[in-house]
Amino acid sequence: MLRTSRRLVDGWADLGTRFLPFADAANADLPLSRLLRLSLFQVSCGMAMVLLMGTLNRVMIVELHVPAALVAIMVSLPIFFAPLRAVIGFRSDAHRSALGWKRVPFIWRGSMVQFGGFAIMPFALLVLAGAGQSAHYPAWIGQLAAGLAFLLVGAGVHTVQTVGLALATDLVPEEDQPKVVGLMYVMLLAGMIVSALAFGVLLETYTPGRLVQVIQGAAVLTLILNVLAVWKQEARDPRRHEPRPPIAEVDFQDAWGVFRRGPDALRRLLVVGLGTAAFSMEDVLLEPYGGEILRMSVSDTTLLTATLSAGGLFGFWLASVVLGRGYDAFRMAGIGALVGLPAFALVIAAAPLDSPGWFGTGVMLIGVGGGLFGHGTLTATMRAAPRDAVGLALGAWGAVQATAAGVAVGLGGILRDVYAAATEPVLGYIFVYSLELLLLVVTIAAMVPLAGWRRDHATTRKQAA
Amino acid sequence: MSEKVGLTGLTEAESEELHRNLIQGTQFFGMIAALAHLLAYIYTPWLG
Repeated sequence: MLRTSRRLVDGWADLGTRFLPFADAANADLPLSRLLRLSLFQVSCGMAMVLLMGTLNRVMIVELHVPAALVAIMVSLPIFFAPLRAVIGFRSDAHRSALGWKRVPFIWRGSMVQFGGFAIMPFALLVLAGAGQSAHYPAWIGQLAAGLAFLLVGAGVHTVQTVGLALATDLVPEEDQPKVVGLMYVMLLAGMIVSALAFGVLLETYTPGRLVQVIQGAAVLTLILNVLAVWKQEARDPRRHEPRPPIAEVDFQDAWGVFRRGPDALRRLLVVGLGTAAFSMEDVLLEPYGGEILRMSVSDTTLLTATLSAGGLFGFWLASVVLGRGYDAFRMAGIGALVGLPAFALVIAAAPLDSPGWFGTGVMLIGVGGGLFGHGTLTATMRAAPRDAVGLALGAWGAVQATAAGVAVGLGGILRDVYAAATEPVLGYIFVYSLELLLLVVTIAAMVPLAGWRRDHATTRKQAA
Repeated sequence: MSEKVGLTGLTEAESEELHRNLIQGTQFFGMIAALAHLLAYIYTPWLG
């Protein structure tokens, strides 16, 4: 009996690893359960992003009647923190600690700041809206408090994500990095989808009390998930607390100078920025395009988000498998950008052809292309990062990626409005989608020397070996 | 630096660092709690 159940358990375990696409990232030193646990910080980041960009965006406008322009300013505040990711990553690399940690203290502080932001956020939003007795007080109190809350959450997310990815890079041997990148992306997406559904259900009937419960619940969940994620993950390095004489006081400028002179470092960041902008600009325009121009029903346009996610998941999976076999990561990102070309062409063509089918296919391909591109650039960043500057390299990638995405999403909406007002609604969308096509072409053009450089680099390394 | 290991197995420097984090955390959470109470008071004053 005991032996049968033992065998059954083993069978389940085998089955599990066989059907999880990222299972083979686990090696003897780092079992899958530990990697999955580490990736929980991405779930909390995804949750925070959905809450800020999606749920609260809507609640502030629909239920709290805050002017849309003020909401837009509040929601965009975290983006101003994104460029600081490079500094955060560097500080983590250079952190000196008697406990021998360089990542955990930053993830802890980031989680703390994120928790703090969520803890004051519901009251700040209610005061911002002038609800309850707060109308007796000057308006700047609410604006300042809400701004602070959004900034704190943004700072927390950027810190946790940057240092969390650096920790993952530290822990995983190079050949397994593509799978870990895939896992991290999938967990971010999973966190976003699950929390979007959960917030939707929880805030179905809005009351101020429910808003407080939901946001503060998210605060507690952030702390729980992040502590679980880093628990016993980072080995303590006793050399960390010894003053390291020759390079004791590197400052950010010096470290950045060294990083910048790395092979093609700036061109890589440029490509990341351009490509991310190209794949992000349509973010808030797909659903209204489907509804307004192609006259799709609400349930059909909601399906678009699922279609985009499904495409993204396929892209992450494909990139994990192919890059795991040693394929060049930047060339993979280039393929992602190439997939984007027909994707946006299909989306544009859907309007004159009045074809939701073409539109759906295009959206799916945008997901695939974006997935391949994101996975490729992050894996390339991890592979190229010098061991002592992992935080800086991933911070720079994150800074460019998050800034480009944030600016592009905002710009996409503004350009659509401006261009549609000057001409007709459909042309507003087409203009933005065409701009994305153009950005993709520029991205691919900027990438050509990179793929070439990687090839030379690989051959010289082979010759040296 | 003394490498004296106490009951917890931490050196003095290590326990100092842990302590510093504890103090910082308490200060930060304290400020957040005060701010949250202030905002909650502005929203619905108590004892009024």
